[in-house]
Amino acid sequence: MMHLATIPNLVGGHLGGWRHKDAFDRSAMNLEAFIDMCQIAERGKLDAVFLADGNGVRDMHRPALFAANHPSARPAFFEPTTLLSAVAMVTKRIGIVATATSTFDAPWMVARRFASMDHISKGRAGWNLVTASNAGDALNFGLPEQSRDDRYARAQEFYEVVVKLWDSWADGAFVQDKATGQYLDPAKVKPIEHEGQYFKVKGPLNITPTQQGRPVVFMAGQSPPGMELAARYADALFGAGTTKQDCIDAYSNIKGRMARYSRSPDTLKILPGVSVFVGRTSTEAEELYEELQSLISPALGVHYLSKMLVHDLEGQPLDGPLPDDLAEETLGGSSLRRYILDMAKRDSLTIRQTYERTLPALGGPVFKGSAVQVADEMEDWWRSKAGDGFTIMAPVQPRGLRDFVDLVVPELQKRGVFRKEYESTTLRGHLGLPEAPSQWQPQPAARGAA
Amino acid sequence: MSKRTDKMVLGINGGALGGHLGGWRHKDSFPNTTMRLDRMIETAVTAERGKFDFMFLADGNGVRQMDKPLLFAANSPSDRPAVFEPVTLFAALAQHTRNIGFVATATTSYEEPFMIARKFASLDHLSGGRAAWNLVTTQYVEDAKNFNRDEHMGREERYERARESLDVVRSLWDSWAEDAFVQDKSTGQFLDPSRVRLTSHRGKHFKVKGPLNVARTPQGHPVVFMAGQSDDGKELAAYGGEGLFGTATGKEEAQAEYADIKSRMPKYGRAPGALKILPGLSIYVGRTSAEADELYEELQSLISPALGVTYLSKIVGMDLSQAPLDGPLPQRPAGQSLGGTAIGRSVLDMAARENLTVRKAYERVLPAMAGNMVKGTPGQVVDFMEDWFRSEACDGFILSVPVQPRSLNSFVELLVPELQRRGLRPDDYVGPTLRENMGLLRPDDPFLHQPSQQIKTGGRS
Repeated sequence: MMHLATIPNLVGGHLGGWRHKDAFDRSAMNLEAFIDMCQIAERGKLDAVFLADGNGVRDMHRPALFAANHPSARPAFFEPTTLLSAVAMVTKRIGIVATATSTFDAPWMVARRFASMDHISKGRAGWNLVTASNAGDALNFGLPEQSRDDRYARAQEFYEVVVKLWDSWADGAFVQDKATGQYLDPAKVKPIEHEGQYFKVKGPLNITPTQQGRPVVFMAGQSPPGMELAARYADALFGAGTTKQDCIDAYSNIKGRMARYSRSPDTLKILPGVSVFVGRTSTEAEELYEELQSLISPALGVHYLSKMLVHDLEGQPLDGPLPDDLAEETLGGSSLRRYILDMAKRDSLTIRQTYERTLPALGGPVFKGSAVQVADEMEDWWRSKAGDGFTIMAPVQPRGLRDFVDLVVPELQKRGVFRKEYESTTLRGHLGLPEAPSQWQPQPAARGAA
Repeated sequence: MSKRTDKMVLGINGGALGGHLGGWRHKDSFPNTTMRLDRMIETAVTAERGKFDFMFLADGNGVRQMDKPLLFAANSPSDRPAVFEPVTLFAALAQHTRNIGFVATATTSYEEPFMIARKFASLDHLSGGRAAWNLVTTQYVEDAKNFNRDEHMGREERYERARESLDVVRSLWDSWAEDAFVQDKSTGQFLDPSRVRLTSHRGKHFKVKGPLNVARTPQGHPVVFMAGQSDDGKELAAYGGEGLFGTATGKEEAQAEYADIKSRMPKYGRAPGALKILPGLSIYVGRTSAEADELYEELQSLISPALGVTYLSKIVGMDLSQAPLDGPLPQRPAGQSLGGTAIGRSVLDMAARENLTVRKAYERVLPAMAGNMVKGTPGQVVDFMEDWFRSEACDGFILSVPVQPRSLNSFVELLVPELQRRGLRPDDYVGPTLRENMGLLRPDDPFLHQPSQQIKTGGRS
């Protein structure tokens, strides 16, 4: 079966999404709107809602872009574990995945918040481990910018500490026997006594294992150290390939690395992010697409492209090509930046054409058309092993998610590639992941064994 | 007695285990409590039925008493070996309630101000203005070992850090103007860049640039609670606390503490009413005084001498396992540096003053965990509360609930109506926010007198 998560971003995935007539009128700090989105996703039997996150207000040095807001800026939002704990009260089955960074947080605090959220949701929590690539966020924690290797080395140890903390208590440790007065069994808890390069944590954690053993761990590794860490430890991966071939390559690359950690490839679910523009007809989908494109002024489009390319394009002729120095540049940078530059060069795009192509999905893949066309594309990618499913982004909210759930999900169900009903109560169960190993059960019971 | 026109502030200590060491074993207690969300929901809903201003949860970041297996296995209400993280828990409880406030504990010793500011601002939004942060510096030394440290910070450093953290957190809460998020679909302006400010803090313990990535909260700022026992703690409360978990025992001590702390406030430009001093109070109430006595005795009988002595040892910071049960409580050897907590010292003083044996001492300490206690009919209990309130020993109370859910139910059914009848408590919530219900002012929006700026981002041209 295909696995589907969605990013219920209230401003939508298109830069102009929040301005569309079908978008929420107020999205800043709007809890009701967010709950609405999560309930729509649950109605569609999606595996999980997924919240990206950061610890800073970004783009303040680009006032026009800052004032316009863009989908990955998040200038004002709820702290994700508190938000999703609230959401757990108004949903029953859907997984809830929140982001927390290993770069600025403490392993004890992360272990605790996510275990708490997992208990509150009765086994539906996921932790998206990020290393925080936004340099500005470090300034809120009195830290210098860190190199990628440092961040990943720290992330690996951080993960190891968190997982050990989650395994502090054996099942049944809390006897709570009123007659004898024994509340807990001291033999069923152990300190973790971790001493590593970055962390010294004694433990045990002051919270028990949860209905799914421990929260599911998501990652979003695109760089080689990120892919390596995911191959070693992640349960699920938010993929960020820009084309089908990219995603196929990343899929086989990451899954290929798993054997050296004695992991079976199907114990990691890779879910590339895709933007879906769907309509009752392909014309309706095109219309939505055009409406959204028209909401972006050239000035804003150029600002946005400047940000994506980390290069100021203001004052350059709109209908001329990207500046030579930028186009010829062969240095690194993010994979998304590289992709945009390659695309512009390959297709001889002007600055205007480049930003127009970049806007709809912030550089990621777009599936556009009728439900059948979108489902065709999804099925093709899935069968081609570009992913084990997708992380769905919709350009205008709540319309985009509602249309996806009402139009595309039934088509996928009809084809037998997506569940009709939830078969499990936990996120681990939805994703078909094996039981998490525990020090208290040296031989984890095989799933489904009698 | 003074004629007070303000209302008594009333909160409950919301732990599902109950406040008496034997509470969880009582026949009228929850059959089990560990990681039971339904118990916490029930507690919040019951407290809201009683129009309590808030539910309070103490917290720590460690599993405690593992070196005292007997006490560890019995579990004590202040140890919390396995509980929900309080801010996530309250975010969930907020969806089941409409008016009650939520006071969650977070430590400035191990948490970053940005994270604290963010999670409490988030809770304030999620609850529609019912969040409070109980700022603690953490007393329990072993918690340090979960945060890359071998030893706990000294008191002076902890309080210095706490004050700086509080300043940073409040500055972060002031990041955005209330009207910063324009969200104008026609012009394309989502936010007004002139209505957000940097914190740009560079201090001894923290460097924080800001702004916070959460909008200004429904209360302006979440309410800030503290629990000052030491002189440093009292000073910090006078400087920046809005609710104070008072730890004085006895009315006279409470009056002295009340006067002391309130007298420290003017130098910070604060009116005395801007801080509500709320001692902890354990209440054993029954329809008759015999019923109250019976509950009390039932609970005391659930504690074996061995457990009582272990518990007392923990409170006073001395191993009493070898001391004769019916002999005098040993005093700290002369010359030993003053360690332990204020509670421990006050227990030793009480034992010396009243010539208490070890057994008598633990029997005295158990029912109120060394705090204040009152027992009797609703009239007797409310007499006690009214006297303290009118005598300026306090502005209200944080009630400890000996047996959950029985005691909380009896508070709501027996005590609250009596408090309301006497005009000490309102018949209903004053407003939707905790600030309004506690009678606290809303902090000014720092952008109030600053003009806004309009930016057109326009459409395709």
